[in-house]
Amino acid sequence: MSEDNKKWYSLNLGRSKKTESCGCGKTSESCESEKPKDGYDQIMDVPMSRRSAFKKITAGLAIGAGAVSTACSVVSGDESKEKSAIEWEEYFKGNYKLMTNEEKDKTVDRLTRSYELRTGKNLNMSSKDAEEDVLFGYAFNISKCQGYMDCVNACVEENNQDRSSEMQYIRIHEMEDGKGFNFEESDDNYYHEVPAEGHFYMGTQCFHCDNPPCVEVCPVEATWMEKDGIVVIDYDWCVGCRYCMAACPYDGRRFNWKTPEVPEEEVNKNQHYLGNRLRKKGVMEKCTFCVQRTREGKNPACVEACPTGSRTFGNLLDPDSNIRWILDNKKVFRLKEDLGTEPKFWYYMD
Amino acid sequence: MKQPTTKIVASVITIVICLFAMSCKHSNEHKYHTVKDKIEAESVTDIELSVSSDKFNETIKTVPINEDGVEFLIPERKSQISSYNCTECHTKPIEQLKQAQVGTKAAHWNIKLQHAGAEVMNCATCHTSNNMDNLHSLTNSEIDFNYSYKLCSQCHQQEFKDWRGGAHGKQLGGWAPPRLSNTCVNCHNPHKPAFEKRWPVRFNTQKEIERR
Repeated sequence: MSEDNKKWYSLNLGRSKKTESCGCGKTSESCESEKPKDGYDQIMDVPMSRRSAFKKITAGLAIGAGAVSTACSVVSGDESKEKSAIEWEEYFKGNYKLMTNEEKDKTVDRLTRSYELRTGKNLNMSSKDAEEDVLFGYAFNISKCQGYMDCVNACVEENNQDRSSEMQYIRIHEMEDGKGFNFEESDDNYYHEVPAEGHFYMGTQCFHCDNPPCVEVCPVEATWMEKDGIVVIDYDWCVGCRYCMAACPYDGRRFNWKTPEVPEEEVNKNQHYLGNRLRKKGVMEKCTFCVQRTREGKNPACVEACPTGSRTFGNLLDPDSNIRWILDNKKVFRLKEDLGTEPKFWYYMD
Repeated sequence: MKQPTTKIVASVITIVICLFAMSCKHSNEHKYHTVKDKIEAESVTDIELSVSSDKFNETIKTVPINEDGVEFLIPERKSQISSYNCTECHTKPIEQLKQAQVGTKAAHWNIKLQHAGAEVMNCATCHTSNNMDNLHSLTNSEIDFNYSYKLCSQCHQQEFKDWRGGAHGKQLGGWAPPRLSNTCVNCHNPHKPAFEKRWPVRFNTQKEIERR
């Protein structure tokens, strides 16, 4: 969906470029119109899920009318007509969970087409569903991780994360030997030769809990667990309330405080609707086990990038998979197991 | 007479409705108490998937191995060794070659064995002086360069078992079968097997400023 909100600008509704508008915040103007929404508005405005759009939600119909008038206008060009038509349809689309396959294809087509109109480049976006008899799981060898952080870089590139705010799904914590898993005292932004003497390294990211508290708290059902166990977010349905961020006991979720920006030549064009497609300001995002790769049978980018082999990914329902061998033969543990969140991310040692 | 019957009927109906409601609630969302239960209950042998790792493995030349019933692929090695076949130079036994080379810079001058100690290992522990194209085991049986893990596993039994199972070493290609794993020498230089220290590839300057 267009990040630059072409729809509203072209209609000249009196709003200038949102450079650093509030993230709901206190910059002088116009957060006041965020009043409780009635049922109709809830459906109408959520798919836009841009805070800036909420501000003038009453303009919604005018936008629609404007889009229609642009679409029917004899003076505007074919491209801008098409753009308006796409925006109109995107505006009224539903929650991804409730979409039929046909609707999924359509929204994917619209998103790729609108990217093409915007940049002249083609995307390869998928809406591939979960495979039968697959439940994804992950294992991390804390004896092997050396803290090189190759996984972090690979993840940022693969998943089109915002560069300037240093958005990262993976954190590598440098922990002191003999102090246990002390996240308070560990450092996840070290810069010295690694592995450092007397330290070990532990990576965290979204653990794709089987009983995910983040899903439970979402007021609009914009996040859910897929059949293959991946916890995903519909970026177009998320309203950015950040309840999930508060509910996650593992610091697995990230919020877009600003419009994410990726240099055009660095955009990963191989995308999935629920994965690494370009996000907007004011929505949540997090690790998706690289859904765009893993649903095709590939390993996540972090597994591929790790030079030490600390990371193992696989199908928990396949008794012959590497991950199952690890669970059955190594001494594995998970973080905060007593919470009952049932993460599908195990740690083990040699 | 009539009233007790209706009472009984009514209570039976309520109980049935209650049971229904309860069973419905438990049916879908939280079917399993733990993810382990889920894995045990839903595991399938011989899963048929629509995806496979074949197309990711294609880019690498591989050899199949079968170790104690565990079958998987490892990268082929011999074509990756720049000066294989070794016998193209090693036409004579080592001692004769050494004599011929006196005064000039020796071949493989850059290789310095930093693996175990000199009392445990030297070149001849793995390399065969009269047949350089192959390696040999501790009991002098021939080992092909493609299967050099057999050599490593003589001492590194635990690592070997973990590797065979999938807990040690790097997975290549994809998670979907067929499995392709790096063999020992793809990650470890056999002459200097320890991982080296280096700088992390990433430092978040912004984060550093914010945390100050």
